[in-house]
Amino acid sequence: MSTTIDITEETSAVAKGKAPLIATTTYSDGSKGYKKGIAIFDFLLRLGAIVAALAAAGTMGSSEQTLPFFTQFFQFRASYDDLPTFQFFVIAMSIVGGYLVLSLPFSIVLIIRPSAVAPKMLLVALDIVALTLNAAAGGAAAAVVYLAHNGNSSANWLAICQQFGDFCQKVSGAVVASFISAVALVFLVVLSGFALRRH
Amino acid sequence: MKGDAPVVLGEPKGYTAQKAGVKRGIAILDFILRLVGFIGTLSSAIMMATTNETLPFFTQFIRFRAEYNDLPTFTFFVVANAAVSAYFLLSLPLSIFNILRSSAKNSRIILIIFDTGMLALLTAGSSAGAAIVYLAHRGNTKANWLAICQQFNSFCERISGSLIGSYVGVTVFIVLILLSASALARR
Repeated sequence: MSTTIDITEETSAVAKGKAPLIATTTYSDGSKGYKKGIAIFDFLLRLGAIVAALAAAGTMGSSEQTLPFFTQFFQFRASYDDLPTFQFFVIAMSIVGGYLVLSLPFSIVLIIRPSAVAPKMLLVALDIVALTLNAAAGGAAAAVVYLAHNGNSSANWLAICQQFGDFCQKVSGAVVASFISAVALVFLVVLSGFALRRH
Repeated sequence: MKGDAPVVLGEPKGYTAQKAGVKRGIAILDFILRLVGFIGTLSSAIMMATTNETLPFFTQFIRFRAEYNDLPTFTFFVVANAAVSAYFLLSLPLSIFNILRSSAKNSRIILIIFDTGMLALLTAGSSAGAAIVYLAHRGNTKANWLAICQQFNSFCERISGSLIGSYVGVTVFIVLILLSASALARR
């Protein structure tokens, strides 16, 4: 890896003898290519995470099932807004998906200028917040989906999946998609760490 | 010598020492936060695992003893919090190494990788616990799930209180990852 050293012109402060004389090195391709590769991979991961997050929100939001028969005792329509945890899931995954879409321009800026630090730190901070929100939504929904599949004999909670098969499938699929999006966000944060390390 | 650093011809006295001082301050804050996180998650795991309430009366139909492992989600909660508190303990030596050597890069990236994974695990565990605690407090009429808190008061208070410690751990992780990233970004 070769380096060139540019000695900048003397500033007036240097001429007065006050400031230090500083030269900067410019790297030829080695480190810039590595950071550009990381930035491109970051962009592609973001696209994948957008698909997963919006798929999770959409699947959960469109989960509704009405059974074709009736008795006096049970409710025969199941929808995501019967359970406040699922409402939180839809809202949180929509926020995560929306944030990821809005962060695409910053990711493109990083591809063009790989050595910019400010967009990188901003993306790291917001990615961490998005990861927390995503994992929270996924974990809470997974707990309720587990209850819906298995019920709980100690608390007398029935397994509603026995009756609402389609609803259960859609909801479980949405939870899986949100976990995929969470894993993608973990990789995004770690990638940004590696890019910062070469700074 | 690697060609990484800029060539600086002449520096004000103390400038390099000042940069190292900022990194050392970040590392000390990192260490303190890890201690706080360790205490928070450990206390949360212990508080949830020692829940046990037996009501003094009985009928034929309903169970009158509530323990944390009656609900598998709480078992996951205890396991996740215990694992994260063990991780905090094991990461303290790396944190001390960062204090001693301010220019360490590899140890900081290792900490970022594991901190991010543990953040996801802890957040999932604490949110799953929060969802079940919410159901225990409110129940759900559409699914015919009764609010068990009506009967088991002290059990309910304990499981609600143990959520606090694990959310302290989540906040600590967010700050820790940001600190490590900003320490890496400073040359």
